[in-house]
Amino acid sequence: MSHAKPKKHDLKDVADPNLWEHVFPHDTVPLIPFDSPIIEEIDGKRIVFEPREALARDLHITDTTFRDGQQSLPPFALDHVAKLYDYLAKLGGPNGVIRQTEFFLYTKRDREALDRCRSLGHRFPEITGWIRAEAGDLRLVKEMGLKETGMLTSCSDYHIFYKSRKNRKTAMEDYLKVVEQAVAAGIRPRCHLEDVTRADIDGFVLPFVSRLMELSESLPEHLRVKIRLCDTMGFGVTYPGAALPRSIPKLIYRMTHDAGVPPECLEWHGHNDFHKVHVNAVTGWLYGLNAVNAALMGIGERTGNPPLEGALFEYVQLKGTTNGADLRMITDIADFFSKEMHIEIPPRHPFVGRDFNVTRAGIHADGLRRDERIYNIFDTARILGRPPRVAITDKSGVDGIVLWVNNFLGLEGDERLKKVNVHKIARWVMDQYEIEYRTSAITDDELAEQVRIHLPDHHSRRHSRSKHS
Amino acid sequence: MQESVEDRVKKVVVKVLKVDPARIQPSSRFAADLGAESIQSVELVAAFEEEFDISMDEDEALSVENVGDAVTFIDKCVREQHED
Repeated sequence: MSHAKPKKHDLKDVADPNLWEHVFPHDTVPLIPFDSPIIEEIDGKRIVFEPREALARDLHITDTTFRDGQQSLPPFALDHVAKLYDYLAKLGGPNGVIRQTEFFLYTKRDREALDRCRSLGHRFPEITGWIRAEAGDLRLVKEMGLKETGMLTSCSDYHIFYKSRKNRKTAMEDYLKVVEQAVAAGIRPRCHLEDVTRADIDGFVLPFVSRLMELSESLPEHLRVKIRLCDTMGFGVTYPGAALPRSIPKLIYRMTHDAGVPPECLEWHGHNDFHKVHVNAVTGWLYGLNAVNAALMGIGERTGNPPLEGALFEYVQLKGTTNGADLRMITDIADFFSKEMHIEIPPRHPFVGRDFNVTRAGIHADGLRRDERIYNIFDTARILGRPPRVAITDKSGVDGIVLWVNNFLGLEGDERLKKVNVHKIARWVMDQYEIEYRTSAITDDELAEQVRIHLPDHHSRRHSRSKHS
Repeated sequence: MQESVEDRVKKVVVKVLKVDPARIQPSSRFAADLGAESIQSVELVAAFEEEFDISMDEDEALSVENVGDAVTFIDKCVREQHED
């Protein structure tokens, strides 16, 4: 790369701040504008991907909370499954932003759960199955009357040779046999290319997928084979220039361009073993697939699947619309997970964790006090019903404490207390750490007690207000 | 004889920052020379308000850096707020 002499850049002093409000509107989710194409070199050719064209497609999310998600946890109660399915329907909205969800069919309990959900009568998410590519399993799909099923078609030699103890030819023939049986039974097959990011793309994946696409050519649309790219061990990467089989852009391109898989038949399923699960999944939207498979709160085998709520926020940021999705349901679902299902959500988990918009640093609390937009990603109170909060430690400073006290007392505008009004509480907090050598955060109850002691009039007014509200 | 504003300011500074009165000069900076931490700056403002029975604009008061400027600022507040 040549190093041209840098241009001279003059400071533009302005009267009004440039807040980039067309990108960060704050009262709605921020947007991700693109101003150039994405370029990859594949097989020596310069390939251009147009983000705007990608974003115009029917992008959507599919859910695996009840399959891969539940697989990683003790089984969900039937009532919980039904309630979560109902939540997913409301979250995804009437246009099917959350288009499908998949169920195991092996046990009586699996089938009862499916029936309970189906009885709710929601159009979206459509219920599909998940089976091994075996004739016996296909029978279960038929019995449950499902129109589509995922089937495990492992494609790396790790799986073909060492797990299935087959060779490539036998594996492919066996998979194709069950696919044909599914189609004959009027069931749409969705081939899950297990461990594709460790597979021989030219030697197995493309020959297999090409055969599936040939088979699809003569089929009506509702039976055409879908392909799910399963990054089973989280090896996929999005870096331009990375090589197959780990390159997600190249993998998707080879599917769409070399095997002829249409975007509406292509899906990504990933795992978080290398901390890349979310970006790997949603990048797929830009490179040519329509469906991102995800699980609520990112639950799933080992390190988990893409968090569905994260995929939804990415959808809104990319598309610039919720398309009918109800984002406020995310907080209700998170509450349901933790309070009813007793599943622990990591406190810092974006959008849903207890502390996702909680600041502990005094300087950030000061920023929040001056203008919420400085340190809140968007209006989290409006969009998620979760106003930003301050947790008090030795790092919070008086700024953090005054923000906490004002929020606790529910004071707005000119009513809000100043730092001098809370200095005794701030001193008590500091003494906890400097004199008592405390190592834990101050609890809300402790702070409320300090407010009662040092600001008794305010405390009693709050108490009487909350009694009457 | 009535104490001057300067003497009363010094008395408050000694009490809040727990420093030797001999160290306090008009040019003494609260943070850099007298070691005032963030919370102590707020405690100083609160103590000045109590001592002089005044209300100060918090941001302006916290931006005052040294003892001499504090005396001037407080003197102005006292004149404005205690005029008969």
